[in-house]
Amino acid sequence: MSNSSTGTGTSSKQRAASSQPSETSSKRKRGVFQKELQHMMYGFGDDPNPLPESVALMEDIVVEYVTELVHKAQDIGSQRGKLSVEDFLYLIRKDLPKLNRCTELLSMNEELKQARKVFESEEFD
Amino acid sequence: MDPPAPPAGAAEPSQSQPLKPSPPLPPPSSSSNPPISDPNPNPNPSPSPSPNPGPIQAPNTNPKPPTPPQPRPPSSFNRTLPPSQPPSQPHFPHFPSAPPSSSASAAAAAPRGGMAIGVPAHHQSPSPPFSSSFGQHFAGLSRTGVNVAESTSSPSTSQVRTPVQGMGMLGSQMRPSGIPAHQQRPVQSSLRPPSSAPSNQPAGSQSFQGHGLMRPSSVGSPASPSPSASQSVQSINQPWLSSGPQGKPPLPSTAYRQQLNPQSMQQRSHIPPPQQSTPTSLQQQQQQQQSFLSNQSQEHFGQQVPPSRALHVPHQQQITRLQGPGNQKPSSLVAVQSSAVQPGIQSRVTNVDSDEACNSILSKRSIHELVNQVDPLEKLGPEVADILVDIAENFLESITRSGCSLAKHRKSTTLEAKDILLHLEKNWNMSLPGFGGDEIKSYRRQITSDIHKERLAAIKKSMAATEAAPAKGSAGQASGSARGSQAKTPLNIIGSPNLKNS
Repeated sequence: MSNSSTGTGTSSKQRAASSQPSETSSKRKRGVFQKELQHMMYGFGDDPNPLPESVALMEDIVVEYVTELVHKAQDIGSQRGKLSVEDFLYLIRKDLPKLNRCTELLSMNEELKQARKVFESEEFD
Repeated sequence: MDPPAPPAGAAEPSQSQPLKPSPPLPPPSSSSNPPISDPNPNPNPSPSPSPNPGPIQAPNTNPKPPTPPQPRPPSSFNRTLPPSQPPSQPHFPHFPSAPPSSSASAAAAAPRGGMAIGVPAHHQSPSPPFSSSFGQHFAGLSRTGVNVAESTSSPSTSQVRTPVQGMGMLGSQMRPSGIPAHQQRPVQSSLRPPSSAPSNQPAGSQSFQGHGLMRPSSVGSPASPSPSASQSVQSINQPWLSSGPQGKPPLPSTAYRQQLNPQSMQQRSHIPPPQQSTPTSLQQQQQQQQSFLSNQSQEHFGQQVPPSRALHVPHQQQITRLQGPGNQKPSSLVAVQSSAVQPGIQSRVTNVDSDEACNSILSKRSIHELVNQVDPLEKLGPEVADILVDIAENFLESITRSGCSLAKHRKSTTLEAKDILLHLEKNWNMSLPGFGGDEIKSYRRQITSDIHKERLAAIKKSMAATEAAPAKGSAGQASGSARGSQAKTPLNIIGSPNLKNS
């Protein structure tokens, strides 16, 4: 889990460079998703005020999942250069509900952008 | 053979009652008992009371009862054990075959062993070494407080017999034939108990049932006699007892585990106060696992408790998740995250009833409960449950060993959650959320050599340059020539028709 020696010069440089910021934030913040998770847990059937330990556990699971996903996406995206949305969609291709939800959200996002663009351009008119 | 102390017997007279049926078995050995148990002032001749008070007393006298307890147990066990010894021998080849003469001492030790689960440690002079270690194991399993092992630091093969027998008594699941060399054997060997259920147990199991009852009672009151704990222990033990005569004893391997515990028990000097957690088999099993793990870690590091907490957490977590929330308080998970809190662990360990501890880490009951969670209509055959228990135990042992190696590599004498987590993550691809602490998972960028980067750049250049070039045929030729020219062509480049200009 911790940085293990990569051996190459670049990797060591990277490690040194990242060590400073990581040291300051060596402990990731707890409760980043606390409020949202509480509401979501309630929506899925839990108590309106779930136990803090349950929320902390859920947050651990969520953060771990997102971290894992981003690492994998980085592995894939680095071959093409930069990270892109396509990498993430590729990683969840097997999970149909998630994939469909993602594509839906992305398309809605595009539509909203278009609408705002038109709205702003109309304003100026 | 005399019961260690009258107060112990008086403290829990009810518990001694169930033992009564078992005592009648070994009347002849009683003669050998007296010489063994000189230190014990208690003149109680009947075998039944002796084992009973022994285990009971152990918890009462928590802080390592000195000599008195020793003589008591051996005598009682002698009576019950001898018949079972011969058949059990083949099961434990690794154990030094203790001569039957030692059975007397072993008997003394055996009760201790059985009691070890709950009994602090009535070491008997003749057989203490074996029994003590045996008891230690039990103590470790059921509760840290048991000081049974203390006096038995010197393992003697002869005594080994008795503890084994004692173990059988405990849950009526242990093989009477004993585990003579449990002390000598390393922890590993203990984990490879013969999976085949001992057929000879049924004969002695019934007799042991009574002893098994005693065990829980003794275990339940490590430091201070806790009637609630004993009651819970009894209730918990009863399912064992009821199931004992029906089928084969749950885990023959438990005997091995118990042996391990006595050794670790020696290290523990105090018995943590019993917890008030709900006495469920699940809890007991978890605690057993914890105590067992802690024992193992102790053996590794020669230290006391601390690891037990860390160990406690992961297994507890797993068990909790597997079996549903159960009794474990969620706060316990959070508390667990802070590494190594000894008192908490010990209290939990003490909660574990001895009867659970004697069955090693996992019991058949927990396996069936797990299966129930998966599918209420599913049934498991006895061999399947045995194998699953073996698999689980081996898994736990390997995990603990690796975790201890990592902790040692960390130059620490405490086994912490992060050791186990690292091993599981790297070797078993298991990530356990909730224990990871506050560390940020760093990302290791892929190591790309310079040559690889050059090639990629060249490919991109050629692709951009030949975008306009429509010739697919030339692209095919180019790809062939490209591959030939370059030592390694990055095949991950997609859309390679325009690899290179022909």
